[in-house]
Amino acid sequence: MKSAIELRDVHKSFGTTKIIFGVSLQIREGERHAIIGPNGAGKSTLFNLISGRYEVSAGRILLHGADITNLQPFEINRKGLSRSFQVTNIFHNMSVYENVRCGVLWPAGYRYSFWHRVGGLRDVRQRAEEVMERIGLARRRNTLAGTLTYAEQRALEIGVTIAGGASVVLLDEPTAGMSRTETAQVVELIRSVTEGRTLVMVEHHMGVVFNLADRISVLVYGELLATGTPEEIRANPAVQEAYLGALHKEAARADGSHA
Amino acid sequence: MEFFLVQTLNGISYGLLLFMLSSGLTLVFSLMGVLNFAHASFYMLGAYFAFQVSAKIGFWPALVAAPLLVGAIGMLVERWGLRQVHKHGHVAELLFTFGLAYLIEEAVHLIWGRSAVEYRVPAELDGPLFRIIGSQYPIYRGFMMLVSVTVLVTIWLALTRTRIGLVIQAALTHPQTVEALGHNVPRVFMLVFGGGCALAGLAGVIGGNAFVTEPGMAAAVGPIIFVIVVVGGMGSLAGAFVASLLIGCMQTFAVSLDWSLAGIKISQVAPVLPYLLMVLLLIFRPKGLMGTREG
Amino acid sequence: MTYQPLNLGRWIIWGGAALLFAAAPHLFPGGFALTMLTQMGVMILFALSYNMLLGQGGMLSFGHAVYSGLGAYVTVHALNQIGAGTFYLPVPLLPLVGGIAGLAFGLLFGYVTTKRAGTTFALISLGIGEMVFACVLMFPGFFGGEAGISTNRMVGQPFLGLTFGPGIQVYYLVALWCFLGMAGMFALTQTPLGRMANAVRDNPERAEFVGYNTRHVRFLQLVLSSFFAGVSGALSCINFEIVSAENVSAIRSGGVLLATFIGGVPFFFGPVIGAIVFVFFIVALSGFTKAWLLYLGLFFVLIVVYAPGGIASLILMQFPVIRAGRWRELALPYALAALAGLVALAGLIGLVEMVYRLSDQGVSTVLQLLGMSFDARSAPPWIAFGAILAAGLASLRAAARRVGERWGAIQLELQAQAAA
Ligand SMILES: Nc1ncnc2c1ncn2[C@@H]1O[C@H](COP(=O)(O)OP(=O)(O)OP(=O)(O)O)[C@@H](O)[C@H]1O
Ligand SMILES: [Mg+2]
Repeated sequence: MKSAIELRDVHKSFGTTKIIFGVSLQIREGERHAIIGPNGAGKSTLFNLISGRYEVSAGRILLHGADITNLQPFEINRKGLSRSFQVTNIFHNMSVYENVRCGVLWPAGYRYSFWHRVGGLRDVRQRAEEVMERIGLARRRNTLAGTLTYAEQRALEIGVTIAGGASVVLLDEPTAGMSRTETAQVVELIRSVTEGRTLVMVEHHMGVVFNLADRISVLVYGELLATGTPEEIRANPAVQEAYLGALHKEAARADGSHA
Repeated sequence: MEFFLVQTLNGISYGLLLFMLSSGLTLVFSLMGVLNFAHASFYMLGAYFAFQVSAKIGFWPALVAAPLLVGAIGMLVERWGLRQVHKHGHVAELLFTFGLAYLIEEAVHLIWGRSAVEYRVPAELDGPLFRIIGSQYPIYRGFMMLVSVTVLVTIWLALTRTRIGLVIQAALTHPQTVEALGHNVPRVFMLVFGGGCALAGLAGVIGGNAFVTEPGMAAAVGPIIFVIVVVGGMGSLAGAFVASLLIGCMQTFAVSLDWSLAGIKISQVAPVLPYLLMVLLLIFRPKGLMGTREG
Repeated sequence: MTYQPLNLGRWIIWGGAALLFAAAPHLFPGGFALTMLTQMGVMILFALSYNMLLGQGGMLSFGHAVYSGLGAYVTVHALNQIGAGTFYLPVPLLPLVGGIAGLAFGLLFGYVTTKRAGTTFALISLGIGEMVFACVLMFPGFFGGEAGISTNRMVGQPFLGLTFGPGIQVYYLVALWCFLGMAGMFALTQTPLGRMANAVRDNPERAEFVGYNTRHVRFLQLVLSSFFAGVSGALSCINFEIVSAENVSAIRSGGVLLATFIGGVPFFFGPVIGAIVFVFFIVALSGFTKAWLLYLGLFFVLIVVYAPGGIASLILMQFPVIRAGRWRELALPYALAALAGLVALAGLIGLVEMVYRLSDQGVSTVLQLLGMSFDARSAPPWIAFGAILAAGLASLRAAARRVGERWGAIQLELQAQAAA
């Protein structure tokens, strides 16, 4: 079967500091894949490499079997990969509606058009309304993004990311800094919007990870320690030893709260 | 041969003068993120102050007093102007200095009139330094080189050997990290801005009488030093150095050569050359000669 | 939903604008007013095209006159060719020639300038501007050197009975194109490209991650903007019947930046206000004082420091207060501040004009002001004007604080009301 994303021995260094040491990973079409690991392991860096934000030092990255190594972010996006950011990255001086619409315009085929009136594009408007409804911001449509609450901005971050209907979605810590109820809502949101798509997400919240993910990869100091189903990961002695000690307790706690 | 030698020396002395200007600009830009559009206006102020002071007490006091005065004005501008607009971002800061350039030019018009002033090379520095078969090299050109090199070496030592210098150094190599640090040290900002202006003022003192002191001199030199900053790579001191010498020599040779190409004399196209260089570089190497940052 | 009343408002604004264009020569009769109004029309178009870069695309350009100026040069040659009978084109369509020329140069130079954004873009645009200016002087055959190329707009058959000899006909030609250009540029803000230009201005990185090549967005925006700049250049060519190196100079480029920013970059109509103020400064004030550029520069710096949203933002700020019926409370503080400002201005003007009397050999050192005369070589007027300036500034500070307090209090109350 073809992989949605395939990393082949990917390396990344900043100057003389090596951050990613030869990561190889295959993410299957349609799966929900979580990447976990301690702070500074290089999870966000991995996302930045896949989405074209950073240049790869060595190795290859494939999207649906096509080589996307070192393409520009917009080229990768046009091939159907969309990502969110750990630090909220939205259009602060535009309204919620306009933010979402920015995510819709290119995939809807309007590109650089200066002969369409955006107000008259029914398909774009419908899609934007639908996304705002989904992320629960329909009533805030005319609010400036910069004035939203933190949780609302995080929701909008996801909204802008999924608005274009990309086939592969990368979410970087979508629930960071959220309360328990907010987290539960976001999990449901992610579950519903990634139906039928490939999802890769970085997440520290073990409850979310074991709840959502079909498979999990563990990244420790730039190296992939293990990849497998949640059960396999939980049972993996190397993961246990290197990293899960503290994490296991957290996971157990999070599981308990969901049970 | 002797023509080549003399022109090379001329080119280097002009290039060093340009580097005195572009280095201050680059330092301020690297540290504060502010592109001082009025930088060349401070160069002009230096020349006019030197003219005024040397008319009253003589050239040598002017060589010290004029740059200090310009530096003081620079510090006032930073303290009471730039710092106020800082909250509106870098574009606002650039616009502020743009408005300042207008004001300085108009103030010069008002105070010293619209035509050139008689700011002359002092008698003791007038005359040839040496002769090579027919061509002669003026003392003053040698003096300019001496001053530029002395000042630049002093600054280099100050940057590498003093505490403030080390902070500034760090800002050059790790802009993001020290930007945060820099915000907590407004005094360093004020000093660097004032220092950059004083450097420009000194360039004005020695350039004003070597060339001409007139209200249009800022508008003539300004674009050249901006081109140098772009060609060298935004924020790169080494790049600014190479680009200054390159453009200094290019300009000097182009003006003095009377070759012609397709009916157009090289000396006629001289004014376009720096910009052409910039365009070519942007097409083939957008980061500049030694730049690391994408704009 | 909320679209209906908004559209109605839009009709009123655009209808009002059209009416104003039509009525202006009758509201302000006389030859002097007419020349000023015509120049305002040209400048409005130019400033709006500039704001497509600065306001909508976040591109600070120091070389926008390149596009209007080269558009004007092509127009002047076209006009002369029409005059020589080489081909025929009705004069009212000439702005199209200028626009297409501007667009062509936008394609050429924009490719280089828009490679970078931010400060570097600003510097490159300056460099391109200087390059074009130097080239214009270098090829006098096409550009006519310093003196420029003059022309005669009364060529060919009268178009619908219009010869464009009388100034009023030129005014209406300018007004028509200005209005069309305004409508066109407003329409562009409502297109996918226009909206994405805003997005690229706000957050270029994110724009790349929703599929847009920010460089391409900047490039297209610049090319479209240079079309309108070219139209304005053509209009200025028809109006003045001469095009010279000044048309592509850094002074022009700086001028349009000043005008646009003074008017208000964040608002579509801001540059309209700016252009009107700017032309007023140039045409009206330059007759009175040689220091008009200094005053203009000072005004600009004050706007940069205290009102980065320009005059438009200062006006728009008042609407909520007026709507809440609270403006009466502000009237007195405003009046006091204005008075203090005028006092300070008087002191400043006195000082500036005296400096000028002293420096310029040609004029007498005696300054005539308000029927009184002062000798700039004596000390008393310096002390007097200095004192007036100081007193004015001190009272302006106090008055501004009072305005600020009142303003803050009203805003708080309005917010509390809105929340309740
Ligand atoms: N642009 C950069 N330049 C230099 N070093 C970087 C850069 N980006 C990331 N790093 C370094 O790479 C390492 C990995 O960072 P990364 O953000 O990928 O970690 P992470 O796994 O996402 O951590 P967290 O869970 O805290 O988000 C860190 O040590 C970081 O300092
Ligand atoms: Mg991270």
